[in-house]
Amino acid sequence: MWKLTRRSLGAHKRRLLATCSAVLLGVAFLAGTLVMGDTMTAGFSDIFAKSNAGLDALVRNRTEVGVDDLTQRGLVDAALAQRIAKVDGVAQAAAVVEGDGRIVGKDGDPIGGDGPPTIAGNWLGDTPLNPYQLAEGRAPTAPGEVVIDKAAATSGKLHLGDTTQIRLTTRPIDVKVVGIATFGGADSAGPMTYAAFSDDFASRTLVPHVGDATSIRVAADPGVSQSELVQRIKPVLPKSDEAMTGAQRTAEMEDQIQGDFLGFFRTFLVIFAGIALVVATFSIYNTFSILVAQRTRESALVRALGGSRGQVLRSVTAEALIVGVVASLAGIAAGIGLAQGLMALFRAMGATLPMSDLVIGGGSMAVAFTVGVVVTLVASLIPAVRASRTAPLAALRDVAVDRSGSSWLRAGIGALLTAAGVAGVIAGTSGDGVFALTGLGAIATLIGVVVLGPVVARPAAGVLAAPQAARRGLSGTLARRNAMRNPRRTAGTASALMVGVAVVSLFTVVGASIKQSIDNTVRDQFGGDLVIASSGFSGSGLSPELAKAVAGLPEVGATSALANTPMRVDGHNDVGTAYDPATFDRMLDVGVEQGKLADLTADQVAVSHDYAESHHLRLGSPLPVAWGDGTKVDLKVGAVYAKEDLIGAVTMPYAAYLPHASSPTDVVVMIDVAKGVGLHRAETAIQKVANRYGAPDVQTADEYVASVAGQVDQMLVVVYVLLVLAIVIALMGIANTLSLSIHERTRELGLLRAVGQTRRQVRAMVRGEAATVALFGTVGGVGLGVFLGWAMVDTLASEGFTSFAIPTVALAVILALGALVGVVAAIRPARRAARMDILAAIATE
Amino acid sequence: MHSNDIMTSEADSAMWPDGDLPLPAARAEAVTKVYGRGDTAVRALDNVSLAVPAGRFTAIMGPSGSGKSTLMHCLAGLDTLTSGSVWIGDVDLSRLSEKELTRLRRDRIGFVFQAFNLLPMLSAKENITLPLDLASRRPDRTWLDRVIATVGLADRLKHRPAELSGGQQQRVAVARALAGRPEVIFADEPTGNLDSRSGGEILAFMRRAVDEMGQTIVMVTHDPGAAAYADAVVFLADGRIVDMLDRPTAGTVLDRMKRLGS
Repeated sequence: MWKLTRRSLGAHKRRLLATCSAVLLGVAFLAGTLVMGDTMTAGFSDIFAKSNAGLDALVRNRTEVGVDDLTQRGLVDAALAQRIAKVDGVAQAAAVVEGDGRIVGKDGDPIGGDGPPTIAGNWLGDTPLNPYQLAEGRAPTAPGEVVIDKAAATSGKLHLGDTTQIRLTTRPIDVKVVGIATFGGADSAGPMTYAAFSDDFASRTLVPHVGDATSIRVAADPGVSQSELVQRIKPVLPKSDEAMTGAQRTAEMEDQIQGDFLGFFRTFLVIFAGIALVVATFSIYNTFSILVAQRTRESALVRALGGSRGQVLRSVTAEALIVGVVASLAGIAAGIGLAQGLMALFRAMGATLPMSDLVIGGGSMAVAFTVGVVVTLVASLIPAVRASRTAPLAALRDVAVDRSGSSWLRAGIGALLTAAGVAGVIAGTSGDGVFALTGLGAIATLIGVVVLGPVVARPAAGVLAAPQAARRGLSGTLARRNAMRNPRRTAGTASALMVGVAVVSLFTVVGASIKQSIDNTVRDQFGGDLVIASSGFSGSGLSPELAKAVAGLPEVGATSALANTPMRVDGHNDVGTAYDPATFDRMLDVGVEQGKLADLTADQVAVSHDYAESHHLRLGSPLPVAWGDGTKVDLKVGAVYAKEDLIGAVTMPYAAYLPHASSPTDVVVMIDVAKGVGLHRAETAIQKVANRYGAPDVQTADEYVASVAGQVDQMLVVVYVLLVLAIVIALMGIANTLSLSIHERTRELGLLRAVGQTRRQVRAMVRGEAATVALFGTVGGVGLGVFLGWAMVDTLASEGFTSFAIPTVALAVILALGALVGVVAAIRPARRAARMDILAAIATE
Repeated sequence: MHSNDIMTSEADSAMWPDGDLPLPAARAEAVTKVYGRGDTAVRALDNVSLAVPAGRFTAIMGPSGSGKSTLMHCLAGLDTLTSGSVWIGDVDLSRLSEKELTRLRRDRIGFVFQAFNLLPMLSAKENITLPLDLASRRPDRTWLDRVIATVGLADRLKHRPAELSGGQQQRVAVARALAGRPEVIFADEPTGNLDSRSGGEILAFMRRAVDEMGQTIVMVTHDPGAAAYADAVVFLADGRIVDMLDRPTAGTVLDRMKRLGS
């Protein structure tokens, strides 16, 4: 039997090559993703290790409030450092003051940002506690003197003695570069930028009160272990503070980057690798089905000559195993190349990720390899079982019987699964939205549709190909009949494309709905004229001075700024919104139901209707709140409003939040233009002011909506690019199936050519069939994608998806592209069909 | 002088006394077909000249490997020549492009093969009109009805090939060959896969097509009984025409075959 497998592999080289490439592409993407993840993890680990190289213990405030990126940790007393330094076993203790500060380059543009931290701090001097070392110049001593990292100096073209600015969240500061530092031998801490002031100057600019510190870094005497050190320090700490070892701190930083940026990055890419592999599975399944069908006589002969079912099964499975192993190995090699290429691309695009040499981890490679082999085996399982069921008598029949694929059993199971899935999705979306139920329903729907595929393939192909049959004459009719004659094959080929298109459609619908939701919300609630918004990624926010400066302009009637407030509300970490109650009402209409926003005082909060209901709050109810500086207060509910999609569920006056903020920033400044002043004139004047505070864009409401829509579109482009792979695999699947079908129909084609079908007609016929199959998959995919998109939008209604939009133009383009994919996939098979040697075709047994 | 020189143009009128036809339906002139090169070269046809008179039923016979199928393929424009020329009516096939050859097959030639004559996804009717549909030609209704009536398929038109018996399938094939009123019909062992009764029916239809409809048929066969339906038989051996027989019967054909074989 082994010999049979080997011979069979040899005989179907071309076809298996196509199967291999489907597995290969999927595995390559997965392996590439994992290698990139490993490499970046290693890069970050390296940075963290260097950061904490001389750190034996870290002391910091116990309290941290807020969620995700919007957190605030309490501060410690800088004087604590001296007390700790006196503890036995402590070699050194240094108070660290840190904040956010973007270094402005020679050209006036800030360096770095858009993700990686831009840190401003105090220069710790020449000590093992300082991860930075002076490479040029001297330490900062006077106000306005700064040491910057070498990479920032290079990219910002800054030299010793140059003057520039550091943009703090609160205000820009004029500085003079007196020193340039390296980070553990490297030019910078990966993508981070670093600017350091003197202790005194940092304390006056980066924290609310002189004497506050972010943390205290401690080095141990020789012979004192990190945990021993922590134990000795603990007694001198106030109750509000905590101590951890350097190793714990490093581990914490690694966990954070994994859970935050890297985790997201990897999950995101792995999902797309998964989609590509699912599409590949369909392609592999289809190829093996056809190979097995073509070998019916062969298998039957083996059975007739005494081969057992198990032997036939094993021979097909062994073939799949070899394909899986070879393709997976090649895919891993290609994946490593892909990772290399992607990193080079990121670097060329100027992205600042910590990149070391590629890290090729054994675990990741094993995962990619196993996934590739398992996917191939699973996809070939059903065809293998089918081959083993071949009756010995089939050898004697002339033509393999074309099983219709539309059995009642299949129709029943498919319909049941689809119905259950749709019901699950609808149940999941109704009411509050149960995401798990929607997800399960979506998966059931997808499987149901795939099962149902062969049942609907014949009528669907008939309908979809009707126009070309009418227009194209006989070639069109033949294309239509060919697409209809083997429903299982048509459905299998189309399914691969369907999955890819469904995901594309899903994202398109969700993207359009996000845009529509934002558009509606802004139009509905925003009553001001102009907006200044902090750009989404930099996270550095707007200076609170900006709103005040803008308000002072004669062109401006009023401003109201919104700030995000990391806090703990009713025991849960949360992020609220703070605003100036005096002007807020004029800018945003949030549908106030009880109380008056304008009357809110510093000991009051306003909550949304839903929040009040779920937390049993009424006007005057107390709401326990904890701030980042450790303060705990009960705020009283002073107002209840209906719409929470722009400002969230818990809001308060600026005055309630400001005393507790370490570095308050605004996210949005809303502006009312003074009466009688043209919008354009006001915009110009305001932009001039804004340019002094980091130059955020001054936008009209329309421009603001458009810029958010632009960000959504950018995300969609990334998603589309990642999905191209899935579409390419589907395209290869169509081409592969078509080639096999053509091979099967050699005699038919020979006959057609003999009785006068021109080569052009042959090509049109093959193209027509491919376009029909592709269109079938695309229509199914778009339908599925729109349905699941609707489900997702509806389930997430409470997260701000207030509108469901169907982007008709985009979907029409997807449909047209789907048909085009078919035509492109048909180019090679069509050419081969047209070039077929007529005499050889007729003579073929 | 080769023995196949008996087929020169002077010989034509001698062979068929009543053939005062200005133009044969198909004609081969000094056709040579060599497969392969060098040592492995096989001379399938060796300087063959032949004229197929219009309105006649001509059979080509010979043992397997004699080149009879190759000759038919060359005459029908399915195969290229090593040297010589082939004419259908007044058209020299060697001067035609691939596309023109395809059109010629579609519009002026009919085919009946031994097996696999029909497209499985088309009905009998659609198979019959296949060449016409490929040409987007409107079928001549009266002619088509007559053809269908002649082969006796009126009640099977909606059926798919899989639903027809072997004999019925071949009748559909004959009807297809006739449907476009081609100048010449080539039939390659049309009864090779049939039982003798069905085969007899097919041959009878072909005979009637020549007699009653004025068609021209060239049939390759190795069955003396089938050859007996023809007006004349051409015998091939080793790529050369070695003999001819007018108004054959099964007996005379068998006789001649035996003599050639010995």
